[in-house]
Amino acid sequence: MRSIVYYVREFLRPEWLKDFFFVKTAPLETPSYFKGYPTLTDKECTQCLTCMMICPAPGAIAVLRKKDRWEPEIYPGHCIRCGLCVEACPEGVLSSGRILDVTHRDKTAFSSWYRLEVDDTLCMRCGNCCVSCPVNREVDPQLAGTGTSASDEVIMRIEGGRVTILHEEKCTGCKTCETNCPNRAIRVARMVEGVQGEEAEA
Amino acid sequence: MKKTVDVSIPLGPVHPCWKEPVRLKCETAGERVLRAEVELGYMKKGIERIMRGRPWQEVMFLAERVCGICSVVHNMVFIEAMEDISAIAVPPRAAYLRVIVNELDRMASHILANFSYCYTIEHETLAMYLLNTRETVLDNLERITGSRINTAYMIPGGVRFDLLPEDAAAMLADLAKVEDEMRRYTGIFETGPLIALRSKGIGVMSREEAIRAHTVGPTARASGVVCDLRLRHPTYRELGFEQVTRTEGDNFARVMVRFQEVFQSIDLIRKCVDTLPEGPIRGGGLCKAGETSYSGEAPRGELTYSVKTDEYGRVLDIAIRTPSIMNIEACAHSMIVDAASIADVTSTFISSDPCIACNER
Repeated sequence: MRSIVYYVREFLRPEWLKDFFFVKTAPLETPSYFKGYPTLTDKECTQCLTCMMICPAPGAIAVLRKKDRWEPEIYPGHCIRCGLCVEACPEGVLSSGRILDVTHRDKTAFSSWYRLEVDDTLCMRCGNCCVSCPVNREVDPQLAGTGTSASDEVIMRIEGGRVTILHEEKCTGCKTCETNCPNRAIRVARMVEGVQGEEAEA
Repeated sequence: MKKTVDVSIPLGPVHPCWKEPVRLKCETAGERVLRAEVELGYMKKGIERIMRGRPWQEVMFLAERVCGICSVVHNMVFIEAMEDISAIAVPPRAAYLRVIVNELDRMASHILANFSYCYTIEHETLAMYLLNTRETVLDNLERITGSRINTAYMIPGGVRFDLLPEDAAAMLADLAKVEDEMRRYTGIFETGPLIALRSKGIGVMSREEAIRAHTVGPTARASGVVCDLRLRHPTYRELGFEQVTRTEGDNFARVMVRFQEVFQSIDLIRKCVDTLPEGPIRGGGLCKAGETSYSGEAPRGELTYSVKTDEYGRVLDIAIRTPSIMNIEACAHSMIVDAASIADVTSTFISSDPCIACNER
């Protein structure tokens, strides 16, 4: 009996009745801070591929040639909505929630680059990595089949029986060298650093 | 006298009260449970295997996908482990922001656990109220980080977004509302006579048993064990932190510890917002090669990440030790055996807040 009285008293309180009759429902409008899938703005993409470099989900974003311009395309099945591509894009091509406003106000940015690592014990000097690398091919179209090159401007070449990394900063992280190496001797590592302040503005 | 087993009752792997699949085999004599055995392994993800060989930029996203309820703390502990390896300093403002987000996540987790318990003891009204309050907490998590569950908020050396003054004000207003509501629900839970019948003195685990079984988190604190790892965290120590402890060790104490920790989290967030230092939210620094074992306090207890990295920041080896596993074992061996009847087994198990997703990485 005591418990029934307790619950009747509890459930007849004005707060309870208010909560019961004016139930809070899910918001019908998406709030501005909600991180959704990245969408395109009207800015022009320069095909710097920073978005693809920074994306942690494989196959979530690709920069494609559309008629007369480059355009990043998001694959929602792979995208994890972390918003890193939006934050990292130097041109502001993508938008999602208010990430861009916050990035602009806080002067924050990501800088990302690639590092190449060659395992000398596994490498057998076949030169596949140097030849398959699309940047190397572009710099030196005469690149020989064993990975020897006359130019110093290539990312890597075979010198004295081992792969020498010359211009690591040119690597776009396509990992073609990794896939073409028969011994898995070359590895590409992605380096990302969050920066803030004057450095981020530059 | 030899005890005879009447019948062995399997609970699960699919059970209306359990959020995730786990099987509990209870050997009973009449209504009394003599022995219980836990069977895990219904949802193994192999996430540690996926993490190996990947750069930390990818692993930090995988880490927060280990568990959907306490995802922020997985992100935080992994990143603090990486900072431990590389000796990266976090700016003070970022450290405070991390605490705010982590405490919001802890509140969401504790309220969900208490929802689950109230639902199990058939107090559905209170359960639905708690879920409604949890929405407000998740809305605030979204306001700061942009997402409700997988927030991707922390990066090595800092956090991704700053806390705007107007967001802080809105969050404090929301928290005042949450505190009001939670005080009311705590009052209902504390004084409700039907709740007391299902909770007080049921599933008792003494302090000695809790220590022997290596239980962690609110389950251990409800038995009077000092085990809160936030006591050792530098930012929490700055904020003046004291852990919540109760001594009864029954279902009621475990749920009440979580209720009290929600209020404690609200206090911590208020302290953080009041004393939020000015300055940058991102520091520099890249990962170095090294090896560490780093522990942090997840909503359910001690969470350990053992990580080994190479100089390029790739994770060579990783092992995660999540809090629930010992709690589940302790629950099977001491708590359930003290449960009054078969009907209390489910609620006793739920009162230890088992997280199966964390255990079956």
